[in-house]
Formats: sequence, structure tokens, C-alpha cells
Amino acid sequence: MEKDTANYKDFSLLSYHHIPGVHNIEVFERAGGYEMMKKCFGMEPDFIKEEVKASGLRGRGGAGFPTGVKWGFFSKDRSAQKYLLCNADESEPGTFKDRYLVEKNPHILIEGMIISAWALGTQKGYIYIRGEFYQQAMILEKALKEAYAKGYLGKNILGKGFDFDLYVHRGAGAYICGEETGMISSLEGKKGQPKLKPPFPAIKGYRGLPTMVNNVESLAAVPWIMRFGAAEYKKWGTEKSAGTKLFSISGDVNKPGVIEVPLGTSLKEIIEVHCGGMRNGNKLKAVVPGGSSAPVFNHDESYVVKMDYEDVAAKGSMLGSGAIIILDETRNIGDLMKWTLEFYHHESCGQCTPCREGTGWLESVFKRRDSGKASKSDIDLLDKTAASMRGQTICALADAAAMPAQGMIKSFRSELEAYIMTPTHTGKR
Amino acid sequence: MSSHSNTHVSHSQGAPFKFTAENLAKYEELLTRYDDVESALLPVLHLVQEQNRWLPIEAIEYVSELMKIPEISIKEVISFYDMFYDIPVARNMVHVCTNITCSMFGGREIYQGLLKHFDTDYLTPTRDGRISLQKMECLGACEMAPCMRINNDYVGPVDLVSAIHKLEELP
Repeated sequence: MEKDTANYKDFSLLSYHHIPGVHNIEVFERAGGYEMMKKCFGMEPDFIKEEVKASGLRGRGGAGFPTGVKWGFFSKDRSAQKYLLCNADESEPGTFKDRYLVEKNPHILIEGMIISAWALGTQKGYIYIRGEFYQQAMILEKALKEAYAKGYLGKNILGKGFDFDLYVHRGAGAYICGEETGMISSLEGKKGQPKLKPPFPAIKGYRGLPTMVNNVESLAAVPWIMRFGAAEYKKWGTEKSAGTKLFSISGDVNKPGVIEVPLGTSLKEIIEVHCGGMRNGNKLKAVVPGGSSAPVFNHDESYVVKMDYEDVAAKGSMLGSGAIIILDETRNIGDLMKWTLEFYHHESCGQCTPCREGTGWLESVFKRRDSGKASKSDIDLLDKTAASMRGQTICALADAAAMPAQGMIKSFRSELEAYIMTPTHTGKR
Repeated sequence: MSSHSNTHVSHSQGAPFKFTAENLAKYEELLTRYDDVESALLPVLHLVQEQNRWLPIEAIEYVSELMKIPEISIKEVISFYDMFYDIPVARNMVHVCTNITCSMFGGREIYQGLLKHFDTDYLTPTRDGRISLQKMECLGACEMAPCMRINNDYVGPVDLVSAIHKLEELP
């Protein structure tokens, strides 16, 4: 692979990542960047939409809903005011793939968004990026300026009579803004509280107008798909989980980080080959396969699962955002549960009673443990409370708290019962 | 959701607030990005904090007047987001991640250790006004666990000793 040439053969998303200075538009373009955007302006928007649909690309933020199908729900009236909203809020614990993608290569996202905007007929777009990613927001701002200067954004792009303005919008520290309707509330200058669906944002979103919300990784995959075609993209992955996926891996492995591999790659290969094996040669105990809301896999499940939407689901969890947290034999599942449940309680937006109260009840079991008042039956209480929260709320946050709790109880009940009965050391945690 | 306001009283800084000429120009530019004024509220509050570090009642009144948004709506927004501060904070804001991967590698002990070393509490500025510490949910940098943010920059992995060392260097 040449130092300054894109490696389209092995990667779609990280094909430019080895190129020094590729965040600069000149370097990106020399390597083949923005070529597809220019070609796409010569294509019918419907053709682009069909190609994305045929590629089998699925929403990479967590839900895994087919991107092309979602695009199909969008208003086809090109003159109607509508928005393209890129979800760069990335706050599911364990996830850091979008940060890794845009901080080195902001232009791949911008190119993907311009092509998508042309296909969808949106006149304005926003990249909603979490507030903590300040430097990444600045990198995107600079890249947008470069793209404006080249005439790739703004009025009458490349003389094609198409207008598209694109801006960065920073969040301010709230997990729930990663939920698409919460994000829309936040963009509207309000608390990031989710809204009831339907109506879906594609019909009635930002400012009550049609809004297409897609994850960074989904939009950044579009230029490759258009360059080589849906059929080539589908050569990667499995029948129902096409293409490559970014995985962010952290925890007890030698080389944590972000990798791009075809969907369907075994978790064993990811750990042993891509992550350099287990830290200190320790034995693997459990894996959170798709962000903190994904039910945990035990040792045996971890070594047989393939990382695609279907196989992870068939084994009782979800692929989610592709955030893999590896825990070795020295870890206690009680700690994992406590940290997970504290998080969801803190991040509940407070609108729906089952979530606002339920996440608090779940966490309170661990507070009882701190005061030495927890009993074995509290694990049953946790399980029952979690079960009663599921499917009862406006958004999926209550489920995101309940699912991993129930998953941990299913696989590690006796360990959790022992944990809850162990008094915490005073002054230490 | 925000755990830092345990009172609904907005705090005064005892002096009026207004944007500098430079920030007023930035404000005008921000408005051009949106199809309505309300949508610019989050970026405008970020801009106020860039100038003033926190959001006293005087700043809320100023923004309310400037953007024609009711004060109560602005207060609601401030209380919802962890990165908007309605109490005075120090010159340097330090975020310590206490989520899963960072906690696996001692993030919580680092946070407690820093509070103890600097003899302070959640967000309370150190006596010299140099540092405010805030424990945060997943910062999205788990490969550098345990990690923290010092002002706008990520650092990690850190341990308590190296974290103290980095914070002692702050102006």
C-alpha cells in the first residue's frame, strides 16, 4: 500500500487513515477524496439512494436499521425544506470509533454528507458532536472551511445548481442527545429530551420539518459504496450484515483501539489477532459486545460469537455501536453492573416515570450494599424492576439500563449475590 | 440529570455581563447558521462560558434579552447539560472519566485521590481558583483508560501521581 494512496481494497472507512496529514483537503484529494462527490453530481439522486439501499448498509450508531430503507421514508419533494443531521454524539460507554474516524479524516464524513445531501435533496445539514469532543469539532470546522473554499459546500455547488450548507453543532454533555429525537430537541436549543415516535424525524424532525439523522460511520461509508458499487460492498460481511464495521475495543486486551473489519469477524479473532490477546495473559471472563446497554457474554459465548447483527442477537445480545469491552478473570461482574447502572440513572432525562424512577431503584441496590443492608433477594428485585421498565418509555434508555442488568443476572447470578452481600470498605471504592 | 445544581437559585457574579465586541461578532455569525434564533442557544451558552467560564444570572439575563428567549427556558437548558455551569468554576476545568473501562483501571480512585489532594469537592474551585474537578460519564476515549480532559484536551492513560503532576502544572 502506497503511503499517499487510499487503500480501498482492505478498508472502506479507514482507507485513508494511514496517509499523513489527510485531514488537509489537498492531501485528501490527492489520495482520491471528493472524486466520488464530483461524480455523484452527475448521477440521478434516486440512483444513489438505490445503490445505498442495495449495499445493505445498516445504521452504524447502534440500531442497525438499513440506511437505504430509512432514506426511503424521506420526503421526495426536493424543493421542500429539510435537513440532514449527522449523529456524532457518540456517548454509549465503550464507544470511540467516530472520534477516531473524524479526528484523522474529517473529509471522508463531509464527502459522504454532501453525496447524501444530493441524494436526499437536503439544503442544510448539521454535524451534532458531543461537547467533550472540542478538538474534534475544531478539526471539523477547519475541514468545512476548506470544503467551502473549494466550492463543495454553499450555494450552487460546482455550478450544479444545488445548495447545501453544513455546520458543526456542539452538544454540552448529555448521553441522551445521542438518541435521534433527543438530538433534535437539543439542536432546537432545548433540553435533549426524546420525542414520541411516530412521527419519525424523516417525516417531522428538526423544527417540525423532515430530518434525516444518520450516524458518522454510516455517512462516511457512502463514498466507498458509490465508488465501487453495492455488489462490491456486499462482498464484505454476511448476507444480512453487509460491509465492514468499526469496532472500538477497550479493557483487558494488550492493544485497545479502533479497528475496521468485515462484519461477521469472530470475536476471538478480534481479541487474539487485532488486539494482541489478553492483557497479562489472563483468562477472559466476560465481554460487553456492543456498548454498555448490550447484555454481557460469558467466556464460552465470547469465543464462539461472530460480530454481525444476527449472530450477536442470536446469542442474546446486540452489536449496538460496536463497542467491545473485554473483562478478564480478575474483574467482578458486580462492579460492572454497579458502574453501568449508576451511569443510566445519571443520564435518564426524567420524562418517563419507569425510567426516571426505575434507573434510581436499580442503582439503589448498590447504595444498600454500601451501607451493608443489601440482601440476596435484592438480585431478584433488580431483575423484576428491570423487567418492568422494558418497553414502557418514550425512548430506549430504560431498556438500555434494564437489558444489561438482566443479562448479567442471567449469566452471573451467584457472583452478583455474593457481591451484593459483601460490605464495601469504608472510605475506599 | 445534571447533578451539580442542588438549588434552583441562580448565582450572581456581582457584576454585569456582556459579550466583548469580538464575541458579539461571533454571536452574529452563529445566528446565520440556523433557521431560527432558539437553535443557537447551546453554541451561545458555550460562547458565554468561553468568555466568562460560568453562567451567572447576569449572563442568563443578557442572553435572554439578546435572543428573546425566556430566562426560565435558558435555566432549564443549563440545568440539563453537565458542561454548563451555573455556579462559579475555576480557571481550569478537569473532567475525570468514571465510566466502565476507566473505572476498571482506577478512574474512580483517581477522581477521589484528586479531590483529596486538592482539598476540594465536585466542581468547587480550589482555594487558589486554579482547578475545578468534575467526574464525568464515558468521555469516549476508552482506549486511553483511565482518561481525563484538562480544559479541552484529552490525556490518558493516567495514574493518580501523573494526574496530580499534570494538574500542578496548570496556570
